[in-house]
Amino acid sequence: MSGTAVIRTRGLTKRYGELRAVDGIDLEVAEGAVYGFLGANGSGKTTTVRMLLGLVLPTEGSAEVLGAPMPASRTTVLPQVGALVEGPGAYDHLSGRLNLALLDAAGPDPLPRRDRRRRCAEVLEQVGLDPADRRPVRAYSLGMRQRLGLAAALLRRPRLLVLDEPTNGLDPQGIREIRTLLLALNAEGTTIFLSSHLLAEIEQMCTDVGVLDRGRLVLQDRLDQLLRPSGLVEVHSPDAHAAARLLGDAVVEVAGERMLVRADDAASLNHHLVGSGVRVARLGPYERDLEQVVLEASSVPPAPVETRAEVLTS
Amino acid sequence: MTPVRWRWFVVLGAAVLLVALPAAVQHRPGGGPPTRPTADVLARIQASADVGWSGRAQSTGTLQLPSSDSFATLGTLLGEQVELRAWWRGEDSWRVDRVRSTGETDTFRDGRGQVRWVFESERATYSPVSTIRLPDAVDVLPPSLGRDLFQGAQVDEVAFLQGRRIAGVDAVGFVLRPSDPASTVGRVEAWFEPTTWLPLRVDLYGRGGTTPVLSTTLTELDLRPPAVSAVRFDPPASVALAYEESTDVAAAANGLELADLPSSVAGLPTRDGRDPGAVGVYGRGPTTMIVFPLRGSVARPLREQLERNAGTTQTSAGTLAPVGPISVLLTRLPGRGGGFLLAGTVTPETLTAAAAQLQERA
Amino acid sequence: MIGVELVKLVLRPRTWVVLGMLVALPTLVAVLLAVTDVAPGPGEGPPFLSAVLTDGTLFPLAALGVVLPLFLPIAVAVLGGDAVAGEVQSGTLRYLLVRPVGRLRLLVAKLVTVVVFVVLAVLVVAAVAAVEGRLLLGTAPATGTVSLSGSTLTPQQLAWRTALALAYMVVCMLGVAAVALFLSTLTSSSVGAALGTVGLLIASTVLLGLDAASALHPYLPTRYWLAFVDLFRDPILWDDVVRGLLVQLGYLVVFGLAAWANFSTSDVDG
Repeated sequence: MSGTAVIRTRGLTKRYGELRAVDGIDLEVAEGAVYGFLGANGSGKTTTVRMLLGLVLPTEGSAEVLGAPMPASRTTVLPQVGALVEGPGAYDHLSGRLNLALLDAAGPDPLPRRDRRRRCAEVLEQVGLDPADRRPVRAYSLGMRQRLGLAAALLRRPRLLVLDEPTNGLDPQGIREIRTLLLALNAEGTTIFLSSHLLAEIEQMCTDVGVLDRGRLVLQDRLDQLLRPSGLVEVHSPDAHAAARLLGDAVVEVAGERMLVRADDAASLNHHLVGSGVRVARLGPYERDLEQVVLEASSVPPAPVETRAEVLTS
Repeated sequence: MTPVRWRWFVVLGAAVLLVALPAAVQHRPGGGPPTRPTADVLARIQASADVGWSGRAQSTGTLQLPSSDSFATLGTLLGEQVELRAWWRGEDSWRVDRVRSTGETDTFRDGRGQVRWVFESERATYSPVSTIRLPDAVDVLPPSLGRDLFQGAQVDEVAFLQGRRIAGVDAVGFVLRPSDPASTVGRVEAWFEPTTWLPLRVDLYGRGGTTPVLSTTLTELDLRPPAVSAVRFDPPASVALAYEESTDVAAAANGLELADLPSSVAGLPTRDGRDPGAVGVYGRGPTTMIVFPLRGSVARPLREQLERNAGTTQTSAGTLAPVGPISVLLTRLPGRGGGFLLAGTVTPETLTAAAAQLQERA
Repeated sequence: MIGVELVKLVLRPRTWVVLGMLVALPTLVAVLLAVTDVAPGPGEGPPFLSAVLTDGTLFPLAALGVVLPLFLPIAVAVLGGDAVAGEVQSGTLRYLLVRPVGRLRLLVAKLVTVVVFVVLAVLVVAAVAAVEGRLLLGTAPATGTVSLSGSTLTPQQLAWRTALALAYMVVCMLGVAAVALFLSTLTSSSVGAALGTVGLLIASTVLLGLDAASALHPYLPTRYWLAFVDLFRDPILWDDVVRGLLVQLGYLVVFGLAAWANFSTSDVDG
């Protein structure tokens, strides 16, 4: 990891009675990163996010955000943080813009009143809401509420964005818009901590990944490190056993007709096998996707391939 | 201490302090034993009628008197909790308010007359004060009741009692156990202001009683004599001052000279030592009996009321009803249903003997 | 923050519905009294109501006497119970706290808002009742209003004492507001917090009627509520008014501290 840490936790733990909702996690989020915080629902993501924001007090361990301890320094840290925690919250009977203005006025800010008003209109446009919309939030769709929540998080141009399931309720078009917006903000230097249960979302956006499984951080690394070439070649052959005998120590794994072989070059391996009379049905470099990485790291019991996605999304 | 807990200790501390502080102030110990001889104290108690003061009192009675329009006030005074405010300049210059959450009934005494103001009915009534009258709000004020009950007390009937803190005063306590066998009063406990000997609290117990049948205490006391203006009633312009001949049925009966009572009945002399008119008050201290003749129109409903009361018996002397330490006897005179009403803190036997004596005389 | 809370109070339709209901009851009473001309008997019913047929200037007090025992405390319980729990329910509490708004600051702002509502409610009820008293009920005797003690109050005295009584009623609601606020930090259900507060008030009223609980009476929150009547005696009977003030301040301190103790360290999960 490069740069200074924007979020750093040491042994962060939250117990509810006997249940360890979050169990001694050591997060490390570098400045300028887009950090994907991945885990199934109920794995402790939201509790971790709440501890980072000082909403929930840790039972043990410590958390530092923007270099200062939380929740002790929340008055200095939180003004530089924008957050969307477990869905947006708004007063149903007021318009989106008024909601935003009230939230803005609730805290201290050096900006004069007129600039604040302009800022509200700006962020609303930024997330794709009409600042002139006078309808009460009650009439909003789930996606519009989500956009309003994002607008609130972006309101003060934070150094750090902590977003919990930011694309919840958005249609594919909306998801794309928000992704573009967030990546643009990141390019301007905003660090983004994105918690999600959607592998695709994280794979498409993030530079770093942390995987939470039943309260434990089972994996934390740069995405390009995780998905780098493995140096293995996947071989499908009806003569798998003959091939294994031929290749000896280079064979990592044999399962039926499928085998993994350590080899620098797939083409020369193919040449070697066919030349030795081994029939090859299929052969190619072995590349893992994020789903496999996550599954390997998690203690989730092995599931048939077609239901694996459900394990993560359900 | 964890950071979570200490705040709750602050809360607990504040709560305990706020509850305990008033309780502690209230339960401060009272005054020690008096240094004066008891006979001197008893005389000073009676002389305290001239001490000017103002304040508030609370009187709690537990006696359920038979209800009767003529005696309604008496029933309230002896059977309920009554809140009083008083300004006292002397025996014939005072003001006593019976305070209710919806209004008040005030009595202003000025020399030989008194004005009664009732807020709810917007009525102000002037009447001359007679020497004979039924007990009123002024009589359950601790100073008045205390003087009344300790009137004629003998030194050997009185003993020192643990002091108490009453109305901000370290009060000195005495208990009075009447030696008169006719009495139904077990004891009277009273506490006094130690310089003026003004009674501050009086608890009246029946024979063998553990809770007082009547308890009256000052809750606030200012020992500066109040100004004349404090006890004067200026009727509002919108209210006409009514005039009544007599303050209550006893005063009315006394004025009518329906009977001529003896100077002593059942061995009890009149309270003031004078020869009575139509209404007589007999006895000494807490042992007291009132005798007055009633016309049929008052006696008949009262008799019906008494008969409805549990514990009422018909004797040869008349209708006899014990109400706690108070005994009530209504005799039947030949004629229109009238009779003598005898009532007081005396035994039913004493009333029966007194009734027989009156019958004989008639 | 207080300003934001006040804006929210004003923009909330519920505020005006509750206010309307508070005004509706005395209005109904005034109309019924004016139509039937039957006042409660002396010593019965709410304070001053027996007197308003002859003196309409007392109707603001009678109207407040009508709403004080039940309507006003329920309104306060609903508002106070909603203070924190309502923000949890709408999902806005976490956003206020990460704005960041200090938790103590938030509690103080909520309490001040409830008190502002009570002041508003008392003033509106008194003002409407004053108009109704003048239009529908008896005109005051030209010689001035008669006090409970039979003395005559000048219009200035009456106005001064009425203002004191209104202020006292606001004070009486402080304890209720503090209790509701505390319960509101305990639960995420504003209805639950409001009902809990109302339950406490009912318990207090029941205990007041019980002689066996007389040792508790001076500590009960509803004990001195009707002491505003004492302001219309002559001379003014201050004792119960002062005690009522102290009791309410006591509840405010204890439950205010409890709300702070609980809310400062509680996990915001809603």
